[in-house]
This record gives sequence, C-alpha cells and structure tokens, in this order.
Amino acid sequence: MSTITQASTAGQSSRGNLIYDVLELVLDRGLVIDVFVRVSLVGIELVTIDARVVVASVDTYLRFAEAANRLDLTGSSRPVGLPDLVGEIAEEGAEGRVKGVLSGVGGVIADGFKDLVGIDD
Amino acid sequence: MSTYVYAFAASTHPLSIERSTGVGSPAAVLRVIHHDGLVAVVSDAPDGLRAKRRDLDAHHRIVGTLAAVGPVLPMRFGTIAVDDAAVERELASDSARFHELLDRVDGKVELNVRAAHDEDAVVRDVLFGDAALRRRNDALRAHGGGSYEERIAFGQSVAAAVDARSAHDAAHLIDALRPHAAATVLGPAVDGCFVNVSFLVAAAARQRFDESLARLRHDLSGVAAVRVHGPLPPYSFVADASDDGEG
Repeated sequence: MSTITQASTAGQSSRGNLIYDVLELVLDRGLVIDVFVRVSLVGIELVTIDARVVVASVDTYLRFAEAANRLDLTGSSRPVGLPDLVGEIAEEGAEGRVKGVLSGVGGVIADGFKDLVGIDD
Repeated sequence: MSTYVYAFAASTHPLSIERSTGVGSPAAVLRVIHHDGLVAVVSDAPDGLRAKRRDLDAHHRIVGTLAAVGPVLPMRFGTIAVDDAAVERELASDSARFHELLDRVDGKVELNVRAAHDEDAVVRDVLFGDAALRRRNDALRAHGGGSYEERIAFGQSVAAAVDARSAHDAAHLIDALRPHAAATVLGPAVDGCFVNVSFLVAAAARQRFDESLARLRHDLSGVAAVRVHGPLPPYSFVADASDDGEG
C-alpha cells in the first residue's frame, strides 16, 4: 500500500505526505483563468469520481453483511463501553481489516494517484 | 517561453519568495509581474509539465508560503499563460474581481475537514439503532450467514443504514463548524471519507473552530476519525459563486 493509504487510515498527516492529503484541492480547486491553459492531467479528474461510483457495489454489500455477521448483538440494547469493544476489534482484526468504510476503494485511488503523480520521484 | 502562474496577490503583499524555487527540474526561478495594484507570482513553464509529486509540492509550497504572510489567490495547479504579457493583460482586464476576491480571503485560512467511519464500529452502531436490522442479522447468523443472495440483500440494507448515518454525521459536523466560518464549500468524495468539507476561517474565529472540532471528535470517538488539513491557502474560496456562509 502506498503512503496515502497508510496516512488516511491511520489519520496521520506528516509533512512528507501533506500534498496527497489535499491533492484534490491543489488539482481541482484554485483560481481558473479562462484565457490561460492548463497542463494535461490525463485521468486525474476521473479518480475522485470513481470514489462515488464504487460506493454501492455488491462487494460493499457483502462486506457490510460480513461485518454485521461478526457481531453478536442478541439481547443487547445499547453498546456497553463501545470504545472498548471497538478497541478489541481493532486489536483482533488483521491489519487493514478494521479500516474506513471505503479503505479498499481508497487504496485503489491512492495507487492511481501514485502512478499519476509519480510518487516514486 | 510560456509562463507558469502560481498566485495573484495585491502589490502590498510582502512576497516572501526570495528563497523559493518553482516547478520543473531544474527548478524554475520565481519572478513577479506587476500591474495596477496587483501582482502575479510566476516562473517560466517547464516543458512537459505533468502532475508530478515534485511539481505539486512546489506549487503548493509557494502558494502556502505566500498565503502565510498575506492574502493570495492560489491558481489551480498547472495554470500556464502564453507569456508574461498575457498575465499582465489578465491582471488588467479583471482587476476589480481579483481585488474583491482578495478582500474576501484577507486574514482567513482554509481548513479542510474529512471524516471517515471505522467500518465495524459504524455497522455495530447502526445495528444497535435498528431492531429490524438486528433481527435479520440474528436470523442470518443462526443460518451460517445465509445464502449469497440473502447476504447481498442484507448488506444492502446495512449499507443504506450506514449511508443514512453518514449523512447524519456529515450534517452534524458541518452544522457544528459552519458558524465559525466565513464560507463553507463541500469537496468531492475522497478516500473513504463520508464528508470532505472546507471552511474559510478568520484568525479571530480559529479558537472557537478548534473547540467545536474537539467536541465533534469526542462525539464521534470510536466510530469516526476526523482529520483536519490546514491552515491552507484558500484554494476552495477563489471561485466567484462557491460559498454559502456568512461572516
């Protein structure tokens, strides 16, 4: 996995990867002057759109069903010490299993960005 | 030689760029184009410029350095004019608009806020909040998880509940922070986050913004991680009709 994915799932933002955390601001925001041209950024505009499309996939549904299936909620009303339980899950879960809802998609995007922006520079 | 444009500013801007270099390899030398109370920070545009890490960094660093000491209008990455004269013509032809935009961002920074749910935690939460979903989950668990079709159908219902929870949490986050911002702009969906939103925040409002943020983090602890990027140059607040906030 790339630096971006690690940064996003760990919620950290070191100086080294700041640019990736705000990449779409630098690429898609900022002042646009009609008479000026813009360098070709082939593919980059598509990347953020992908994130919205992939949200509702069969894979997502199966993952949610599996996440629910791991829970034993019988007879419970409200979580007892929810943060503790979350902590247990996080400890039990394999690296990368207990992550953001779309971490898989994020990884794909991150890798796409990596190629496009030459992260290996 | 065409001209790469980093940012516009007022001619009163301190222009702290003496030690900065621009895009390209070797890095281009920065220079300033003056016209009628406005300046453009530019360099020669390198051949074959793409969105490479080094060049994105250079653009972001220069705009950030400038924004740290005075109001600027950051250009979108990769903006190139035919030559310096074209930049000067643009400063001349739209100077009222640029001054107005500079006034709007003066003394303010962009704070970009993103939040992502922990998947297992949010699924747990929505099941606790929905007895019907919980019963279906119990039934499926009693049958070894159910058939492929049953799992998809159930997962779809869970996904809908998570979406609703995401919309709720996003609205909660925006409602909590917006009062401290002069303007608010929603960003595109990114990287697994259920909300990506930028706030234009005045220096005087920063402490209250941070306090609300701390309360939000507490409210969402264990279920969602809230990340803040900034202070940033006002990338999201230099379009003409982008905000809906109040001062």
